[in-house]
Amino acid sequence: MEPDDFSCLYSPPGSHVEWCKQLIAATISTQLSTTAAPDNVSKDYRVLRDGNKLAQMEEAPLFPGEAIKAIAKDVTYICPFIGAISGTLTVTEYKLYFKSVERDPPFTLDVPLGVVSRIEKIAGIQENSCGLEIVCKDMRNLRFAYKQEEHGKLEIFENLTQYAFPVSKNLPLFAMKYKEKYPVQGWKVYDAVAEYKRQGLPNESWVISKTNSNYELCDTYPSIVVVPTSVKDDDLCKVAAFRTRGRIPVLSWIHPESQATITRCSQPLVGPNDKRCKEDEKYLQTIMDANAQSHKLIIFDARQSSVADASKAKGGGYESESAYSNAELIFLEIHNIHVMRESLRKLKDVVYPVIDEAKWLSNIDSTHWLEYIRILLAGAVRIADKVESAKTSVVVHCSDGWDRTSQLTSLTMLILDSYYRTIKGFEVLIEKEWLSFGHRFAVRVGHGDENHADADRSPIFLQFIDCVWQMTKQFPAAFEFNELFLLTILDHLYSCLFGTFLYNSEQQRMKEEVQTNTVSLWSYINSQLEEFTNPFYVNYENHVLYPVASLRHLELWVNYYVRWNPRMRPQVPIHQSYKELLGIRAELQKKVEELQREVSNMAVSSSSERASPTHSVSPVQTTV
Amino acid sequence: MKSSRPSFRSYLPPAESSFPSRAEVNRVCEAALLPGELVVSETSNVRKCIATDTSAHDLSGTLLCTNFKISFITKDVTPFRRGSVELALTTCAFNIPPFLHPVNDERKKRKVLGPNQRLKFKPTELIIYCKDFRIIRFRFDESVPESARKICLVIAHYSQPKDLQLLFGFAYAREKCQNSVNKVNGTDLELDGLQTSLFKAYSDWDREIKRTGASEWRVCSVNEHYATSTSLPEYFVVPSSLADEDLKQLVPSFNGDRIPMWCWHHWTGSSLVRMANIKPGPKLRKHNTRILKAIAQSHPDKSEVFKSDLDKSLPNISEVQAALMRLKQLCINDLFEETDEKWLSLLENTRWLEYIRLFLKHSAELAQWMYSENISVIIHEEEGRDLNCVIASIMQVMLDPHFRTILGFQSLIQKEWVVAGYRFLDRCNHLGDSEKHESPLFLLFLDCVWQLLQQFPAAFEFTETYLTVLYDSLRIPLFGTFLFNSPYQQMQQSQDFATNGNLHCEGKSVELPPVWDWFLQFTAKDLTLFNNPLYIGKSVTCVQNGTIKSFKRAKKNSSSSSIYSVYTMKNGKLSDQHDFFPRRNSLQRPSPDLMQLNESHDRNMERYFRDWYSKPLDLHGIILPHLSSAHTQLWKQCYLRWIPEAQITNGGFISAFHKISILADDIETLQQRVRQYWCDPCLTSFPDSYSHRMYFQAKDFSEVPGTLDCFSSSFPFSPVGNLCRRSILGTPLSKFLLTGAKTWPSTETLANDE
Repeated sequence: MEPDDFSCLYSPPGSHVEWCKQLIAATISTQLSTTAAPDNVSKDYRVLRDGNKLAQMEEAPLFPGEAIKAIAKDVTYICPFIGAISGTLTVTEYKLYFKSVERDPPFTLDVPLGVVSRIEKIAGIQENSCGLEIVCKDMRNLRFAYKQEEHGKLEIFENLTQYAFPVSKNLPLFAMKYKEKYPVQGWKVYDAVAEYKRQGLPNESWVISKTNSNYELCDTYPSIVVVPTSVKDDDLCKVAAFRTRGRIPVLSWIHPESQATITRCSQPLVGPNDKRCKEDEKYLQTIMDANAQSHKLIIFDARQSSVADASKAKGGGYESESAYSNAELIFLEIHNIHVMRESLRKLKDVVYPVIDEAKWLSNIDSTHWLEYIRILLAGAVRIADKVESAKTSVVVHCSDGWDRTSQLTSLTMLILDSYYRTIKGFEVLIEKEWLSFGHRFAVRVGHGDENHADADRSPIFLQFIDCVWQMTKQFPAAFEFNELFLLTILDHLYSCLFGTFLYNSEQQRMKEEVQTNTVSLWSYINSQLEEFTNPFYVNYENHVLYPVASLRHLELWVNYYVRWNPRMRPQVPIHQSYKELLGIRAELQKKVEELQREVSNMAVSSSSERASPTHSVSPVQTTV
Repeated sequence: MKSSRPSFRSYLPPAESSFPSRAEVNRVCEAALLPGELVVSETSNVRKCIATDTSAHDLSGTLLCTNFKISFITKDVTPFRRGSVELALTTCAFNIPPFLHPVNDERKKRKVLGPNQRLKFKPTELIIYCKDFRIIRFRFDESVPESARKICLVIAHYSQPKDLQLLFGFAYAREKCQNSVNKVNGTDLELDGLQTSLFKAYSDWDREIKRTGASEWRVCSVNEHYATSTSLPEYFVVPSSLADEDLKQLVPSFNGDRIPMWCWHHWTGSSLVRMANIKPGPKLRKHNTRILKAIAQSHPDKSEVFKSDLDKSLPNISEVQAALMRLKQLCINDLFEETDEKWLSLLENTRWLEYIRLFLKHSAELAQWMYSENISVIIHEEEGRDLNCVIASIMQVMLDPHFRTILGFQSLIQKEWVVAGYRFLDRCNHLGDSEKHESPLFLLFLDCVWQLLQQFPAAFEFTETYLTVLYDSLRIPLFGTFLFNSPYQQMQQSQDFATNGNLHCEGKSVELPPVWDWFLQFTAKDLTLFNNPLYIGKSVTCVQNGTIKSFKRAKKNSSSSSIYSVYTMKNGKLSDQHDFFPRRNSLQRPSPDLMQLNESHDRNMERYFRDWYSKPLDLHGIILPHLSSAHTQLWKQCYLRWIPEAQITNGGFISAFHKISILADDIETLQQRVRQYWCDPCLTSFPDSYSHRMYFQAKDFSEVPGTLDCFSSSFPFSPVGNLCRRSILGTPLSKFLLTGAKTWPSTETLANDE
């Protein structure tokens, strides 16, 4: 089904259509497909449906492979913005679907169970009634009240917990069952060798290595890595032994002119006794030598220096400038995953459901969310500046090298290389710096896991996408993708509809045969690129774009964090006005062509020798 | 021709990159002088500082001071970035710098220099703190010491004239007046920008009544030649039911004679009226009743009138002034990094955004009474010439698409500010004599309009650059528009000046040029920056079946009041109105006052706004803003444009604007062609001579690949050269990214000076 058709059905007409589209994409999935195969309807449900007209009208659209697990009528959704609404609540393997035809247009709530973090049942004050409080990962909480009935199998609460936390219940994630076919194969988006070739690799200093093809050197790294040509495999093993989890320094990006490189790794295992590893020292020296432009190597340790000292006492640590000659160590003072989780929790309190108008700014300030965004961006700008202006190679690490390191390298690459600002390039960037280098998506998001208090959860990837959004705000014409693209990525970070973000590492993904068992998010996105294209895009090729890492320009991403609040919707998105202008131009162009034809016909019929006007209007731009 | 007029404030890159020779500099400088402008002092071998840790990037040139401006003329081209212009930057109009700061670094002397003060040491450096947040530094190491001292004193003297008639506009007007005697046809200038309705003539008001359909209202001439009051405009509009004699009787009962004056009429019948409070006394109630009755009678079918006491609803003028002072201090604070950490809280503490929100909210609520409830609204305050100006004009921008065009907006400012007697002289403190009365209400209004523009980017004919430039123009003493406290004062001062100077002009007085004559400031090309490319979609014409059909929607069917009927008044809150409506009055329902509205009102308001937002929007109808704090933003172009650290290089809204501009230009070209075909179907070649209204054009862009490089968040302004600021902590970035900002070696901070 075309997304446009859908918007006609579900969005009010007029200027808010665009926004509603976004919101629908945000509430997800119905946009993807809405036809339900009759086989998917369980018997229980069919009996129920046949007996109830209202329930029919309020029935949930299903994906191929999706089955209804529970239905409850006369459920009240307690909306914090428009009050209590009565309707039908449906639970499927994939989503929670609430629809009420009480309102015009009908009110629907369509929430993938993947976003659920916690479900609490609240015993009713009245007999037989009970309440549900559902805490979501995407900045909202849902409240339902309903009468308890005796449909054993169709009990809402049990089914919700079952399918919201399939991993804890030893059930497969819905992505394994989702069988939608897309014209574009998203799993082909990233080809490591092709990407390195695009960067001009291999060259005389760097080689595309297959030493990790069985994930034996490092089980959280990709099978293909780029390492200095001259380093022998034996030495690589020694370096791996000296770095946390064997995450040796490998190349992420190379400057096309200066050959300055960005390499990433985990912390060295220096320990309290200042252990040294001459292979590691030599390895970094080799990285420095590979860049003839500079006789220095800058090591960016993303952590706070105090924290780095603490990990040194526990066996980790950082490169001492005495052991690594010509290396300069800079701490970027970025806080750890726990601080970020806490910050987002505070932010949710500030934005949902009620906003304190009088203290809006200071409340945001007190969450430090934007401050952490600033520190992150400032770090990326510093790294990019070293590479671009000082032509110096850099090494980036934190402790494990899969959270802050991924944030920093990917942001730096976005600043330096316009390729990553295209839709395809950005997908490659995520596949490469995040997925292949083992950002632990399963653990950080907690897919299908009921342990909502898990200390390993943290919104690291969300923070990265927020930084990207900040950059798109500062450079509105420099990115090929639009806000909807970023919103969609974040929604499917949690939805568990696509296989892309399900697992922790490439190795795990191979084991689970993700590419054969699930659909890639990029299949969906790349099948309808128009939806995700920024109409203002101009290719800033060869432009290094430094965002201003200052609170004067950083903004709270209202369209993400506060999007459930209907009062926060933008009045008239500017890109919509632009599209209207494009329509007007197309119409005028047609008219001019028609007139031109008329004129030339006239000229022919009157046998005049006058040439028909051929002066062409400025070239048609193809973006729509 | 227009475009050849001298432009003294171009922010844009010069057409030629090569700078003129010394002789040419002189010639250019002379050419750039306006009629009546004289070079008062000149110092050569002055260095304009770019970076503070090195003089390597300094520009060498001549510093000029005229009776109008400071100019720095240089042969050097800034090495930093293409598209930055030193000449334009250092040219600032007089009356801007409130602080001059000569420094002698050998003797470690410094002084804040005012007019008529002595300067005992020989300055090696001059730092100028401009009112528009700019800071400019000159060094005199290589210039003649005496001449350096002299120019400092001259600048101090001319930047703060003590008498109104010493403002440059008068000198200019004298020159124009004297020259026009000899000229055969000397009227071109004054007519240029003046399609703007000035509301100084009877006919302007009459037209406005007809335009809005206010048939129950009439223009009155009781104050012709200021016969009745020097505070009122010569012509204004009153209820038809009030005769001139009634008015003369009523005038003395109002503070400052400011009786109810009509502002605007909604097609459904409701009107907006502004007035001062009635003087306390035995006749208060009687006069009040009379006024309300008359206004109610001018409504075709409603007997209610809604009265809003602005003094009780909004912050007063000194609170607004204090908020701006806090904002200014925050924006230009040296400690960029330190303030950045707590920026949001600090910004909130200035309360500027809170006030913006309050004014918008109050205007939106009143606007809603008018068009949704169809009830006439009276706004009143003690004097009737401050908050009234702001609220009346914001409401009209929301309600009437005409005021969202450039000419309409300008006429609105004439109507509700200039002619209505906003005390520009006192509030802007042009003579620097009394800070007590200073208040930035006009900026507050522009900021509110900017907020609306942010929320409805396609609803305005103008851009934010237009608003910023208008704000800058507030302090250029060349123009008469924003110099006076009332139209009477302008008339009187001009006559006085003409009489004393023995000038024989047409009419009895000299005319200072209006600010609306934009060609006095800008070239035709620069002026295209005022045109909002998104707006053209709203007025675009399209040829259908051989007739040219306008896309513009008819005003009458564009808003449908029935949609908003959910908002109903509750009787419970309409109490305590006996002051306004005696019970024996035929008016059944007393008028509600917003001040007395309770919670249910808020709930209703909320519901009403929710309904509003869920409906399709007509940009050529009424626009109501989101009123949440999250939607009230800092107007960065205006407040942060001179801060190098806050500049987004290669980015900012301009990069999207540029693409929209090119598309709009395409559309206009196509429209021209269609029209051309209709005029002359056999036309063989297509003339390219018509004027482009967009700043960026498709053909330019393909020719100049480097266009992107001069974009920044400050565009079309450039903070390059606005220095004397502390550098960014610990990073070498400033060298490469931030246009060379470096530490100002002085220990004094600007905050202390302020």
